[in-house]
Amino acid sequence: MNDTTIKEGRYLYCAVSIPDQKPDFSVTGVDDEPTTLIPIDDVGVVVHECNNLYDTDEVDLLRKWLLQHQQVVDAVGERFGTPLPFRFDTIIQGNDDRVREWAYEEADALSRYLDTLSGLWEYHIDVMIEDNELEAGLEERDERLQELTTRINDSGSGDGTNFLLEKQYNQRLATLKRRRRDERARTLRNRLSDITYEIHDRDTGERSINLTDSKGDESDRMTSQLTRLTLLAHENREKEIGDILDDVAAEPGVTVRFTGPWPPYTFTPAIGDELESEHATD
Amino acid sequence: MRPTKRDDDAVVDLLDVILRDGAVLEADAIITVADIPLVGLKLRAALAGMTTMTEYGIFEGWDWQYRRRARDEFTGEDQP
Repeated sequence: MNDTTIKEGRYLYCAVSIPDQKPDFSVTGVDDEPTTLIPIDDVGVVVHECNNLYDTDEVDLLRKWLLQHQQVVDAVGERFGTPLPFRFDTIIQGNDDRVREWAYEEADALSRYLDTLSGLWEYHIDVMIEDNELEAGLEERDERLQELTTRINDSGSGDGTNFLLEKQYNQRLATLKRRRRDERARTLRNRLSDITYEIHDRDTGERSINLTDSKGDESDRMTSQLTRLTLLAHENREKEIGDILDDVAAEPGVTVRFTGPWPPYTFTPAIGDELESEHATD
Repeated sequence: MRPTKRDDDAVVDLLDVILRDGAVLEADAIITVADIPLVGLKLRAALAGMTTMTEYGIFEGWDWQYRRRARDEFTGEDQP
């Protein structure tokens, strides 16, 4: 589905600091369109010419577009340093001159944000833990669980009491597991906060969209999400972050996934509208 | 441990971020997912487990109307 024809537009990928004027830069962008870099003083805006909004309900096509979008922003980052990435499907109405006009209007903001983000990248951390590790030793240390176990063992079956006691046991166990998980997540967060600019907790629930080809390749073992973090950190800190995660990954039953460096998608601002904060609270 | 960008999970995880995040540009001439809520919103709703027919129906209708209005404004149709 792509009935969203427009007159003339420029699809915007990102802005980036360009130390040399008018660098030659072009890669393949969304929908295989060739990109160009429009220099505006010391800022470059990477675009492609478009006559459509990018809109689809086909997973494969959407995935392709998103990958192409990311590949452009990635290539810009590798060539020029940290870019200011724009949200997917951000299109300016008009030609290159309109892009220049807009960039001049927002030159102060663009330069300020690019300076702020210089050398900073986004990293994603997912920590999983096996449930049996999370439960290990809990009963030995908790009087309430011990008491419930004793009562379950002493109770006769079939009168409903056992059912209720087991329910209480499971509830208590879940509470203790959650506390242990939160404590370990907090400890990791605190260690990382010393060497990062900003940390966001990502929702430990489901992803909002499933774009994977994998078919439910879940481990047989029961695991829980210990924490999901998004970091904004300087590239020079990458090794220290990795060292901390090595410590965590060495703990029994723990699996760590560490991805990046990504353009700072999560840490980008709204540009050009002071009312944006009102929108954000809608 | 070194961060990776290459495994499938890493990229899939990022795609969700690209759809959701990135700088929002506000200007009269700019059209963005801030105006046209989300690319593939119908798809997103379906895949995110928003499964009740009521929720889905409302969401879909709202999405369609909102998109059409934004698109019309963008393409200069139905302008006063």
